[in-house]
Amino acid sequence: MAEHLYQALLATITYANIIALLFGSLVGIVVGILPGLGPMVGMVVLLPFTFALDPGVALSLLLGVFCGGYFGGAIPAILMRTPGVPSSLITSFDGFPLTQKGEAQTALSAALVGSFSGGIISVFILMFLAPILAHVAASFGPPEYFAAGLFGVTLVVMAYRDRLAQGLVLLGLGLWISTVGIDGPTLVPRFCFGTLAMQNGLHLVPVCLGLFGIGQTLILAERRILQTESMSLTRKTLDFSKIMGALRYWKSLVMSGVIGTFVGLLPGTGSILASFLSYETVKRTSKDPEAFGKGTPEGCLASEAGNNAVPAGAMIPLLTLGIPGDALSAVLLGVFTINGIYPGPLLLVKEPVLINTLYLSMLFINVAAFLMLAIWLRPFAMVVRVSNTLLAAVIMVLSLVGIYAVNTRLFDAGVAIVMGVLGYILLRLEWPVVNLVMGVVLGEILEERLRESLSISEGNPLIFLQRPISLCLFIATALIVVIPLILDWRRHRRSNAAG
Amino acid sequence: MAGKANPKSRVHDLFTAFLGLSAAGVLVSSPWQVDTSGPYPFYKGALIFPLLALGLMVLASVPSIIRLFRSSGEASWYLDGGGIPVKPIGVLTLVLAFLAGIPFVGLELSSFLFLAATLFYLGHRSAKVYLGMSLLLTALLYLVFKYFLDVYFPTPWLFQLLGG
Repeated sequence: MAEHLYQALLATITYANIIALLFGSLVGIVVGILPGLGPMVGMVVLLPFTFALDPGVALSLLLGVFCGGYFGGAIPAILMRTPGVPSSLITSFDGFPLTQKGEAQTALSAALVGSFSGGIISVFILMFLAPILAHVAASFGPPEYFAAGLFGVTLVVMAYRDRLAQGLVLLGLGLWISTVGIDGPTLVPRFCFGTLAMQNGLHLVPVCLGLFGIGQTLILAERRILQTESMSLTRKTLDFSKIMGALRYWKSLVMSGVIGTFVGLLPGTGSILASFLSYETVKRTSKDPEAFGKGTPEGCLASEAGNNAVPAGAMIPLLTLGIPGDALSAVLLGVFTINGIYPGPLLLVKEPVLINTLYLSMLFINVAAFLMLAIWLRPFAMVVRVSNTLLAAVIMVLSLVGIYAVNTRLFDAGVAIVMGVLGYILLRLEWPVVNLVMGVVLGEILEERLRESLSISEGNPLIFLQRPISLCLFIATALIVVIPLILDWRRHRRSNAAG
Repeated sequence: MAGKANPKSRVHDLFTAFLGLSAAGVLVSSPWQVDTSGPYPFYKGALIFPLLALGLMVLASVPSIIRLFRSSGEASWYLDGGGIPVKPIGVLTLVLAFLAGIPFVGLELSSFLFLAATLFYLGHRSAKVYLGMSLLLTALLYLVFKYFLDVYFPTPWLFQLLGG
């Protein structure tokens, strides 16, 4: 263990890795600050560039964007009541009132300390929990993996159950997209419609880049997302005394970090729930709950610690079971598999150095993002003034040339444009695009496990109910479908009776 | 500017039905799209999973299709007030021209023309912005993709033609 940790430390402090995590954090903060973009756009735009990198360095780069995005999102939320990332909306409840009182520094310091603490706490929980979960998952066979994958997918679908039909359609579409191209076991071309280009399949990179990068860019070209350009920032850097002042809420920091990690661990829950639950729990246990919503640094700190704990929390099921909890970790799973690394219980045994490098990189990323924002607060805050339309044109051209560069095929850029149009429509309709991405990423894994399971049982589907872990997971899947639907139905009936 | 999407709008049902019916079309044609004549039984074969995925799409879209056929005159088609997306359509046209332009005039000229045209179209009227930024970004693209990453780009047809 100590030997692996030492080797991981050496791998973490290589020039390439340090540059990757610093650059990733920088990009993450910038896209987090810019309302309407967010870490997903940053990650997918950088995705084509990761193919030339070592897997550890590539993951550090993307994790930097993932974590940095949540750091950056708080700045416009506090200064302009315009959250950079959706979960920072909760931060604006107290952050913006503090800014109006002329205490923007207090709010920003609390948010930054919250983000940093949430990130660090969650990485330590990840380091502790991942081996335990991997130990449990070591006894998994194909039926258990299939049941676990189905459970994860169902959680995501049920998280958006107000759009259940649309969510299922998108999930089905994603699963179908994952089957296009030559089938590995049988070498049969599937749904290629007579074209040679389709035989290589529809890769994750053009699909994700199209859906998120180009789709979001088309929205940017059309809408003026920022509500204001005014900002109340009196200093270039953060005030050190205010940072120290925020540390007196250490109990709230720990509580929010733990809540955020466990919410992040559950597929489909997302960072908004983590932020909201942390905020509400801290509010309930605070000595001064009346101050919440009117401008208290404790509120900013709780919500930011909650949402910044999500990335490490989401890594727990990803690393141990190979099940991503959201679209961002789905992209990370894609990077793993493209590099021939398959997350699962054996990953922690087979690649201990890579895993420890990942943990250490996440710790470094949190430190780097914290320092960057503390030192260059004003330049970062000025990023919100960059024109949306200029950003749209830059992202569009970078995305398309980046996609072409991966396989030097213009066909992939064409796929990205088609997916971009679909992404634009889905964003306008406010449908859960995450279901589509989950389908594309998990499709291959689910199909493989399903066929393996049926091969073991010679075609008998009851195999999933004959093995205890698989049976428990199927029961849990059924419960997460049935219970919320019953609760919704009862609520609907009660409101009808009252109305 | 578009507002929040109206969840009651029939547009949702229309698009769900479109996806569901397209899936049904693919489902029906799948025996011709996937060769199942090999030695593998159905449960090990290449068709089982796509059929499940397409079946899920079709089943999930059935309520929307029924609602669409039953919709009365009171049905709302209002989505978000954004109207016809003229700007995105314009940008997409420019994007397609950009991609088509790469084999004709090369990455540099195609990128420069795309960026300048897009920025002008999106409202940047200052030549310093739309020409200067386009030039700067094209140089950046050249440096990153051609110089550092050494990515292969096809020799432009136009230059081949001019060069004889």
